[in-house]
Amino acid sequence: MTDFLSYLVNGISLGGIYALIALGFVVVFKATEVVNFAHGSLLVLGGYVIARLHTDVPFVVAVLAGCAVAAVGALVIERLYSWRLRDSNLNALAILTIGVDILLITELTRRFGPDILSTGDPWGNKIVDLGFAEIAQARLVGIGVTAVLLAAFFVAFKYSSWGIAMRAGAEDGEAAALMGIRRGRVTMTAWAVAGALAAVAAVFLCAFPTPGLDASVRLTALRAFPAAILGGLDSTAGAVVGGLAIGIAEAMTSGYSVKLAGGNLNDVVPYLVMLLVLLVRPSGLLGTKELTRV
Amino acid sequence: MSDTATRSPAQARAAPGRSPRRVRPATLARVALVIVLAVLPLYIDTSLLTIGLFTMAAVVAAIGLTVLVGTAGQLSLAHAFFLAVGGYGYAFLAGESGVAGASTAQGLGLDPLLAAILAVIAAGFAGLLFSPIASRLRGIYLGVASLSLVFIGEFCYENVRSVTGGFNGRAATPFSLFGWEFTDANTLIVAGVPFGRFEKLWELFLVVAVLSYVFAANVLRGRMGRAMRTVRDSEVAAAVMGVDVRRTKAGAFVLSSMYAGLGGVMVALAFGRLTPNYFSLALSIGFLAAIVVGGLGSIGGAAIGAFFVTAGPLLITRYSSSLPFISDSGSGGYDGGKAAALLYGLAVVLVVLFEPGGLAALGKRLAGRRPARALTPAPSTGASP
Amino acid sequence: MTVAPDVAALVLTDVCVRFAGLKALDNVSFTVEPGSLHAVIGPNGAGKSTAFNVLCGIYTATSGSVRYGDHELTAMRPHKIARLGVARAFQNIALSKGQTVAENLMLGRHALTRAGFVSSGLRLRPATREGRRHGERVREIAAFVGLGDKFAQPAGLLSYGDQKRVEVARALACEPRLLLLDEPVAGMNSDEKVRMAGLITEVRRELGISILLVEHDMGLVMGISDRVTVLDFGKRIADGTPSEVQNDPEVVKAYLGTGEDEADA
Repeated sequence: MTDFLSYLVNGISLGGIYALIALGFVVVFKATEVVNFAHGSLLVLGGYVIARLHTDVPFVVAVLAGCAVAAVGALVIERLYSWRLRDSNLNALAILTIGVDILLITELTRRFGPDILSTGDPWGNKIVDLGFAEIAQARLVGIGVTAVLLAAFFVAFKYSSWGIAMRAGAEDGEAAALMGIRRGRVTMTAWAVAGALAAVAAVFLCAFPTPGLDASVRLTALRAFPAAILGGLDSTAGAVVGGLAIGIAEAMTSGYSVKLAGGNLNDVVPYLVMLLVLLVRPSGLLGTKELTRV
Repeated sequence: MSDTATRSPAQARAAPGRSPRRVRPATLARVALVIVLAVLPLYIDTSLLTIGLFTMAAVVAAIGLTVLVGTAGQLSLAHAFFLAVGGYGYAFLAGESGVAGASTAQGLGLDPLLAAILAVIAAGFAGLLFSPIASRLRGIYLGVASLSLVFIGEFCYENVRSVTGGFNGRAATPFSLFGWEFTDANTLIVAGVPFGRFEKLWELFLVVAVLSYVFAANVLRGRMGRAMRTVRDSEVAAAVMGVDVRRTKAGAFVLSSMYAGLGGVMVALAFGRLTPNYFSLALSIGFLAAIVVGGLGSIGGAAIGAFFVTAGPLLITRYSSSLPFISDSGSGGYDGGKAAALLYGLAVVLVVLFEPGGLAALGKRLAGRRPARALTPAPSTGASP
Repeated sequence: MTVAPDVAALVLTDVCVRFAGLKALDNVSFTVEPGSLHAVIGPNGAGKSTAFNVLCGIYTATSGSVRYGDHELTAMRPHKIARLGVARAFQNIALSKGQTVAENLMLGRHALTRAGFVSSGLRLRPATREGRRHGERVREIAAFVGLGDKFAQPAGLLSYGDQKRVEVARALACEPRLLLLDEPVAGMNSDEKVRMAGLITEVRRELGISILLVEHDMGLVMGISDRVTVLDFGKRIADGTPSEVQNDPEVVKAYLGTGEDEADA
C-alpha cells in the first residue's frame, strides 16, 4: 500500500509536469490550430538557458530568463505562421514546426555535446518523507508549482480579456474578429504562454531523480503529446486530465516494473494508453467531435 | 494566375486515359539519368557506392511517404517504424538461427528473395493493423498518434531480441537471386572493373528504385490517385462522390508502409546489419523533410528530397576537409550530420513558407511550365510521373 | 420527356435531426417522384442543407426514414449512397482545385470503375482500358455542360460560374439516377444563372432522371420545378406545385417582411 501511494504521488508530480507541457500544446492548438511539433525542442531551449545562466545569476532569475527565451522562440514560429500561412492547411503548419524543430534540436544537440547539465535547482537530491510515501523534494515542489501555475492559467483563461478573446476566437474566429478582437495579440500571447510553461516544465523534468538536462529530454517532453491527444487536442481541461493519466500510468508501470519481453514498459506506456483511447474515442476523452459543415 | 491559356499542348496530356504516346523531354531526361546511374559503379569508389545504396533505399521509402502525406494528406511520423519492420523482417526471415555470433537473434533461413517479399508484406500488414486508427483520425491527430509507433517500435527493437538481436542489433543475410549471391564471393569483371557486393547491390537497387517509381507514378495517375487527392482536399466531397474514405486512407497507409518496408529491406542489405538507433524519430523526421523539400505529392520530388536528406550528410562528412565550417564528428562543431540537418531543416521552413510545391514546383516554374503561383497544398502531379 | 427506367422515388418520412437540443429538421416528409424536378425552398436556416446532408449520409437522422427505392438511406455511409446513383453538387464548391477538370470529373466515375492500386500501378489491361473508356465518357459530359475547352485546366483556375458547372458535371459523371443540386446558381450573375437554368432543364430532358434542387432563387425554382417543398425553422410548411405554393398563406407569411430579395442574399 505504501508502495502504491508513493508511486501515486510520484505519478501525480510527473503528470503535473506533463500537464504543463500538454497545456502549452493545447493552448497553441486552440489559438492557431497549429500542432507544434517543436514544443519539445522549445522546452529544451528554455532548460538550456536556465542551465547556462544559473551559475551567474540567482536561480529564479535564470528560470525567468529561460521562460523568456522559450517564449520568444515560440513567438518566432507564431510570427512565421501568421506572416505567410494563415490560410494553409493544418499539415503545412505542422510541417513548419517540424522544420523549426530540426533546426533547434540540431543546434542544441551540438551545444550540449556529450554533457548533461543541471538547471541548478535549489532542491538537490533531498527526499521528503510524507509518512505514507517518500518523494523527491523537487518533485514535491513541482506539484505545488504546477498546481499554482495551472490554477493561475485557468483563472486567466476564464476571466482575463485574453482568455475570453481566445475562447471566443476558438469558437468562431470570424465573429470574434468582427467584435473587434485582435487575433494577432491573442495568438501571440498563446504561443508565448506555451513557451514559458515549457521552460518551467524543463526545470522539474530535469530535476532529481532524473539525471539532468541534455537534448534527449526533448523525447521525454514528447510524452506530453499523448497527454494532449488523450485529453483532446482542443481541451485545456483535457490536457490536465491527460497529463495526470499519463504521469500516473508511467509511474505505476515503472514502480511495479511491469515488463514485457524483458524490457521496462514505462517509456512506452504513454503511447500505448494513447492508442487505446484513440481506438475508442478518435477525438480524445474531452475533445470536441468535429461537426462537418457543407 | 491566368496564363494557363498559353499552356503548351503538352499540358493537355492530363486527359485521363488518353496519354498520347509521344516521348516528352522530361521522360528522356529521366531515362538518361537512369543510364548514367547504371554505369556509375564503373567509375566511383566503395564509399560513394555505399552512399548511393542508402540513397536509393531512401528514395523508395520516401516515394511511399509522399503518396501518404502529399497525395492522401495523412501526416505520418511512423515511417521509421515501417522501415524497421521491413528491415528486421528480412533479417529474421532470411537469417539462420544461432550463427549470428554472440547475438541471440533467431532466423527462419528462408530464401532471401522470398524473405524480402514477405518482409514487405509484413510491413504492409503492420500498416493495415494501424489503419483502424489511422483512417478514423483527423489528419493532425494522426501525426501525433503515429509518433507512438516510433517509440513502441524502439521498445521492440531493444527487447524482442530473438528477432532484432536487441541493443547491438543483428546481421542481415546477403541477398541472392536464384542462388546467385550479391556478395564479394563471386566477383564479376565488368569492363575491367570488378563487380563485388556493392556494385551488384547498386544495380539491383537501381532496378528496384525505378520500378518503385514507375509503379507509384502509375498509381497516382489512376483511379486511386484521384481518390486519394480528393480525400486530401475534402473528405466529404470524396465520400459523396462514392469514394470509401476509410478504405482509401487505409489503402494509402498500407501502400506507404510497403514502400517503407521495401526501403527497410534495402537498408538491411546495404548496411549488412541492423541496429535499433537507426530507426529513430529522426529518421521519420528526415523522410518528412525529404518529401516536403522535394514537393509533397511529387514522386520525382520525393526522390530528389531523399537524395538531399540521405546523401547530403554523408557527402558533407566525406568531403568535410575541403568544406568550410565543417568539423569532424564529435569535436563540438558542425559535423556532416549536423550541418546537413541544419540545411534541410532550413529548407523545410523555407519551402513551407515560400514554395509549398517544393523543388518539384520550383523546377517546373523555372522550366516555364506552371502558372506563377503553386496551388495549395501541392500541385497535383498525378499526370506527370 | 421519358423517365429513365431505373429511377426510383425518394421518400422522406418524418425525418428529424437534432444538434444539441436544436431541431434542425422537425418531422419533415416529402416525396420526389421518379423523373421529377423537385425543389426545396425556405429562408436561411430553414434546414434545407441539413436535409441534403441527411440524404447524402453526412448527417444521421435522429429519427424518421429516408427511402430510395428499396433502400433505407439513413443508416448508410455516404459512399454507399453514392453507389445507388445519388449524386450531389455542392453549394460551396468542393472541387479539388489542384486537379484538372478532367480529373475532377473522373472522380465522379469512381464508383463505376474498379482499378485498384495494383492494377493501376502495373498498368494492367483492364485498368488502362477502363481509364480510356471512362475518359471518353467524361469528355462527353464536359462538352455537354459546356466545359469542353477547359477540360485540361486545373479546376481552381476557372471562373466561379465555370467551377459551379464543374460541380454539376462531376455529379453528372456519377451517372446519377437522383441528382442533388445545392444552390446551383448561388452567387452567379444573371447571365450565368440563365445558362445554369438551361443546363438543369436540359439534363432532365436528356437523361430523364430525378432532380432535387435546393435554391434561394425564386425565379429559377418557380420557372423549372414540378413540385416545391417549403421549409421554415426545420418544419415543412407547404408542399405542392409552384403555383399552389406561391399562393399558400403559410408560405407568404414565412417570406413576408423578408421577401425574395433578402432570401436571395
